[in-house]
Order: sequence, then C-alpha cells, then structure tokens
Amino acid sequence: MQFDDLTKLLPAEAILLSEESRRVYECDALSAHRVIPGCVVLPDTIKQVQDVLAYCHSNDIPVVARGAGTGLSGGAMPHAEGVLLNLAKFDQIISLDPLQKIARVQPGVRNLAISDAARPHGLYYAPDPSSQIACTIGGNVAENSGGVHCLKYGLTVHNILQIKVVTITGNLITIGSHALDSPGYDLLALFTGSEGMLGVIVEVTVKLLPIPPFNKVLLAAFDNIENAGEGVAGIIANGIIPAGLEMMDKAGIRAVEGFVHAGYPVDAEAILLCELDGTEDEVNNGLNQVKNLLSGYGATQVRIAKDEAESKLFWAGRKAAFPAVGRISPDYYCMDGTIPRKHLAKVLTGINELSIKHKLAVVNVFHAGDGNLHPLILYDVAKPGELERAERFGSEILELCIEMGGTITGEHGVGVEKIREMCIQFSEDELEQFHAVKAVFDNKGLLNPGKAVPTLNRCAEFGAMHIHKGKDKFPELERF
Amino acid sequence: MVEKIALIKEQVLEAIENASSLNIIAGGSKEFLGRKITGTPLEMGRYQGIINYEPSELFITVKAGTLLGEIIQVLAERGQMLAFEPPQFTEKTTVGGVVATGLSGPRRAYTGSVRDYVLGIHCINGLGQDLSFGGQVMKNVAGYDLSRVMTGSYGTLGVILDVTFKVMPIPEFELTCFCELSRKDALTKMYELSCKPFPVSASCYDGEKLYLRISGYRDTVKTILTGIGFEEYLNGDQFWRNLRDFRSSFFNTDKNIWRLSLPVTAKPEIGDDQYLIDWGGAQYWIKSDRPANEFFKMAEELGGNATLFKGTGHNENIFQPLQEDMMIIQQGLKRAFDPHSVLNPGKMYAAI
Repeated sequence: MQFDDLTKLLPAEAILLSEESRRVYECDALSAHRVIPGCVVLPDTIKQVQDVLAYCHSNDIPVVARGAGTGLSGGAMPHAEGVLLNLAKFDQIISLDPLQKIARVQPGVRNLAISDAARPHGLYYAPDPSSQIACTIGGNVAENSGGVHCLKYGLTVHNILQIKVVTITGNLITIGSHALDSPGYDLLALFTGSEGMLGVIVEVTVKLLPIPPFNKVLLAAFDNIENAGEGVAGIIANGIIPAGLEMMDKAGIRAVEGFVHAGYPVDAEAILLCELDGTEDEVNNGLNQVKNLLSGYGATQVRIAKDEAESKLFWAGRKAAFPAVGRISPDYYCMDGTIPRKHLAKVLTGINELSIKHKLAVVNVFHAGDGNLHPLILYDVAKPGELERAERFGSEILELCIEMGGTITGEHGVGVEKIREMCIQFSEDELEQFHAVKAVFDNKGLLNPGKAVPTLNRCAEFGAMHIHKGKDKFPELERF
Repeated sequence: MVEKIALIKEQVLEAIENASSLNIIAGGSKEFLGRKITGTPLEMGRYQGIINYEPSELFITVKAGTLLGEIIQVLAERGQMLAFEPPQFTEKTTVGGVVATGLSGPRRAYTGSVRDYVLGIHCINGLGQDLSFGGQVMKNVAGYDLSRVMTGSYGTLGVILDVTFKVMPIPEFELTCFCELSRKDALTKMYELSCKPFPVSASCYDGEKLYLRISGYRDTVKTILTGIGFEEYLNGDQFWRNLRDFRSSFFNTDKNIWRLSLPVTAKPEIGDDQYLIDWGGAQYWIKSDRPANEFFKMAEELGGNATLFKGTGHNENIFQPLQEDMMIIQQGLKRAFDPHSVLNPGKMYAAI
C-alpha cells in the first residue's frame, strides 16, 4: 500500500486510512461532487507537511490541501488515489502587532477569529466571505475570497502581506514580506487564488484595518430591475463607494421575508441594500445623498435604518438569503459569475429565459457594487435529471456572463465545478500559459490535479463547447 | 490597431528567430531605473488611446503607450483618479511604464499599489502569443492572477498592450498640514494615526517636519485639522506632486538615491545621510554614496528590500538580491513566459 510509509513521517493518529474516517472528507461545500480520498493526513507541524509533500513527490502521489471545506467550487474535492492534506490543526494566531497592524496566523485559523482577536485593538480583518465563521484563512488565500465589503476594502489579495508555502518537493519558502512590496515577480499575487495548485500555504500574514467608527444601512425598493441597476451606477458615478451594496430580486425578497421577517417589501421587483461607513456625520450625510439619488432613479421607497438594530435587521435578510432558499427548495445550486453592471438587466432577463427553458426556478442575489451575481438555481436531487438540468442551467448562465464581458467566477473559484467554462473564457494559448506557470512549481502535476485549469485534452472532450466565436478552438486535437 | 499588434508580434518572433532580444521602451521617463540593457528597441510610445472608460463601473482600459497625464485628466473630468498616485517623472510617462515598473506614489500606503488596481492585462508573451488575463470586472478569480504578476515585472514577462485599472473617486476635499517633530516622535505619530480610522492619505517626514495629507468630506477634514494640533500647509498639492515626481529639492543630488521598503516599525541605520520617510514609515529615501551591499544587507536584516533607484552602478545589482531558491522560481517564471529570453532580459536581475 503506497500510503504505508506515511506512518514513518507522522504519528499514527494523524493518518486516517479506514473508509469511514476518510468518507468524512469526500466533498467540500459543493456536495454534488464526491470522491473518497485514498488517505487523509492531519499534520500539526510545518516539518510534517514538508515530509508528507516530499514523500508524495518522490512517489508520484496526488495531494489535495483542505481547510474547513466550505469552498463552493469543489476545490478541495479529494483524489481517490491521493492524500488529502487537512490543515485543521494549524489553528493558532502566532502573533498580532497592533502597531504594524498585522497578524501572523496559521492557515487553519478561521477568518472571523482574526477579527475577534484584533477587535480589542480597534482593528479587524476586512475580507468577509459569507462563510467567515467557519472558513479558514488558508482557504481564503487559496481562493482569493471576497465578501460583501470588497467593493471598498478589496479581496484577500489586497489584504495580505506575506505567506509561507511548502512546495511539492518539500521546500519551505517565504513569499512577500512585512514591507509593502517585495523584490522580483509578485508571487504573492500569483499564489492568491491559485486554488492549491502551486504549493501548500502554512502561514499567512494579514493586514488589519481600523474598525470604522460608524455605519448604517439604507433599504430601497424598486418596481423594476433596470431602475435598481441604474441606481447602483448612479451612486458610484457620484463618487460614493459604499462599504456594501447588495441587490436581491423578487424571488429572493420573498424567500427571505418568509424566513427572517426583515421588513423587506414583498411586492418589489428588486431591493437594494446600501451600507456606508465612516464618521457619523459622513455616514448620515452620505445616506441622505444616496436616498435622494435613488428616489431620482425611481425607487418606490427608501428607508434609512433608524438605529443599529434596524441596520442589523436589514442585513439579516441578505445574510439569510442562502438558508432561506434552502427552506423553500430541497437543493439549490449557487452560481458566481461577474458581469459589467450595466448589463445587469440583460443578464437577469437571460437568466429568467434559461429558467423557463430548464424548468427550474431561480433566485438572484447580487453583490451589486462589484457586479458579482449569485443566481441560486432551485432543484431537487431526488428527482431524476434535475441535478443535471441545474448544472446545465448554471453552465449557460456562466456562458452568458462571458458573453457580456464578465467572468465565470468572481469569488468561489473554478475548482472542479467550472473547469469546462474555463475552456470558453480562455484561449488555448492562455491555458497553455497557465500550465507553463503551474509547471514551474509542480511539474509532475501532483498538487490538486484536475482542478482550476483544464488540460487542452479536457477542453477537447467537452466537444460542442469549443465552437467559440465561430471557430473551433482546438482543431489539432482528436475528438472523443 | 490590429495591424499594430501584429507588428509587435512580428518583432517578438523576429527576435526569437535571430536569437536577439528586445528593449521595450515608451516615454523613457524612467530610463534611469533598472539595469542597463541592450537589445533592439521595441517602441510602444505610439500605441496610444483610451479603449473604454466607464466611470460608473469604476474601470478604464487604455493602451500601453497612452500618456499618464492624459489618463489623469480624463479621469479627473469625471471626478475619478488612479488611487495609487503613480509618479510622472516627465510628461512623457506612459501607462505601460507605470504598470511595468509597478511604481506608486504617496497615497500607496493608504489606498494600495499599482497591482492592487490592475484588473486585467492584454499582452504579447515571449512566444509572440496574444494573451489576455483578468478583465474589466473587479472580482475575478478565473485562472492564475497573471495580470498582477506582470505588474512590476519590468517588461521581462510580456509586452503590455493594454491595461484595465480600477479607478476611484477623488476625495471631496484634501488638505496638508505639518508639525515639527523628532524622527522618533514623527514615526510614533504616523503609527498612531494609521491605527485609528483617520483619513490620512499621505505622510512624509523630511528630518524636521512631519507632513500629513488628510482626505475626505470637507467638514470631517476641517474638524480633524482642528483636533490634531498641526498647522495647515497651503501649498499641499504641489508638495505631494513634487515628492511623487522627484521634484522636491531633496532629489536634486549627485549622490545615489536609495529606496528602502521596510516594515513600518523597522528602524534603519541612516547615519549622517540625508533621508525622507514616506508611506507612514514604510518607505525611506536615502541619499548616499555608501556601498550598495550595506543597503542590501540592512534591508534584508530589517525584513524589507532596497533599490538603487537613481545614481551610478546601474549595471550591477540594483534590486535587492534574491535568495537562491527564490531566484530559481523567478527564473522558472521568466522561462514560462519568455523561454527564448527575448523580452527585456537582465532589466531586473542578470538572470531573468
């Protein structure tokens, strides 16, 4: 058995070989894709991670790194003949320096735990993916996670300074520094969002920001989506960068209102939530300006939260959107395309047409400020064919996003889920450039195989997908 | 436009064919920066124009040879800016040069760097292939983030054709203020302010006075000025522009100008050399004829990096020397983009 020698590298309790213990790890939050890993290891020192990777490299064993497993694109889906490298034991905040405004943390530290530790110093860690109570910082770096506040505060890539990485050959390297820049090519940008394809992150230094002194939320209702979209453009064109700017369609409003009673107007076609932060005066002045603007764009009602409690209530609805949809449908499939915002109405119309075509309902929630759409496709896995229809529906939404000049994934990553749409978004030469970069770090292709970047053969297998802009993208490849 | 791209491609392919190399140039405003290289000039200066600007989508896409000054003006007309405040050493500074060198100005410590605002790059790699990475949307995690990797790569990975930046609104109001302080007190003041939600957008200590720029709503900024006990400096815009563009009298020198990028709490040994501190304590400019190795050694010990920004000795190491394992990775990346080493070889390091 090829995993036997791992016992020489790790204590027995850090290796899971029995089927029932391995089955726990068969999927991440994209539960439609499941594979039982060949073996699971839970190292608790960097040395052990180095030893495991060096061993896997020598023996050509695939390795999939995993944090909390909250990813939505199957990035942590295991390999049947491979090692699943669970970093859960790396859960310590190594140091927090309030003067430098940085925290050095192990990869298994939860996103929210960093802000909890920073709060006594008046600081916090800005990126706030919706899974922040559970997701780990290592996973956040691997996926370049966003959140509802990234229009103003950026993604993970904007909020980290340094990472320590173990390469597939077992070397420990430091990327970035505690200074604001580093010499040579920007490997920190390269590793952020690289989905575990280039190395295993074993330490992260994050930037911390001062907690804004005040924030407040405004809720606006519209009787058509176009007006809501124009309202968003109007806010931004007027020089206001909200801390959060969210939109929800009618189906979303109704699902949420039935669940959390946030006071959303159930007869509206769309609602906008706009959060501003800053000093109390700035926020109040800004919200009045937003209120006037949105009324000018045809909002049927605009409500500025009376107090903190009402701000929280307005947010509670948006934050409960996914569980609310879970309540009205046995299963849902969350998409993650990003589009230039001006095409919002066109894209939502297109999604509604696809909904009729595939006979599946859809709920749209939308990070309106940055153009990131999360259509939730409702289906029932127990009904034959529905999952397949949901996946086809999702794939066609992503194609629509590409057509509009957008991208197939704003923050969830490609993983296994969007591997085929990568063949549409990128040309053969671009995919080859990605593979050339991958080979610099992992020429045997052992790290997270089959994820993030499709092989050209894989794209060829997708057949019909290749007729892109009227021409076959891979004419030299054999068809299967 | 397409003809022009074809021409650039052709030059790359020709260089491969002749086993020669290219020296990518545009406005030449940063000619003093980087190692001196030979190679057939690849002129990008005439590849100009704004391809797409959508103020309400917060992005602008421009061709690499477009003058930075033109972009700044077009954005300003719509109340927007490049938030990393790039240096404009001469009026010929181009967008391509800004991205290739990755240089940011005084606002950088507070709002982010060039690469933080690069959303996408269209380029020709060292195989003559026409590639696009990233795009025009600010959230995009499809594929490796190669547009950010190319930022600051001094043209050694690809010929940049066009770039999309995220743009930001110009603050409603800005003012500059100053106070005489010792270096120690000035640094302490900078840390303290940066730990509070206090809208500083630039800070500079010149050995005598600490200058701060405060940005935001007019009323807030005025209130802050009253509370902080600094004196208002009336020529603020020009002060920061001079710092950004090396026009301050400090930069008028025959000595070497060193740039040290350090953790904010590092305390470099400056000795008798003249210096300026900006970026809240994260960037030091030092005028000195001390040997290069002293700066590289000091920067490394302090966890940062040194650059011989301007001066003599530009055929030697001018960027912080890299550890061997790091250099091997960098060489690998160079080969992945430019296997025949035709694009600006040696501009950053002799080996890439």
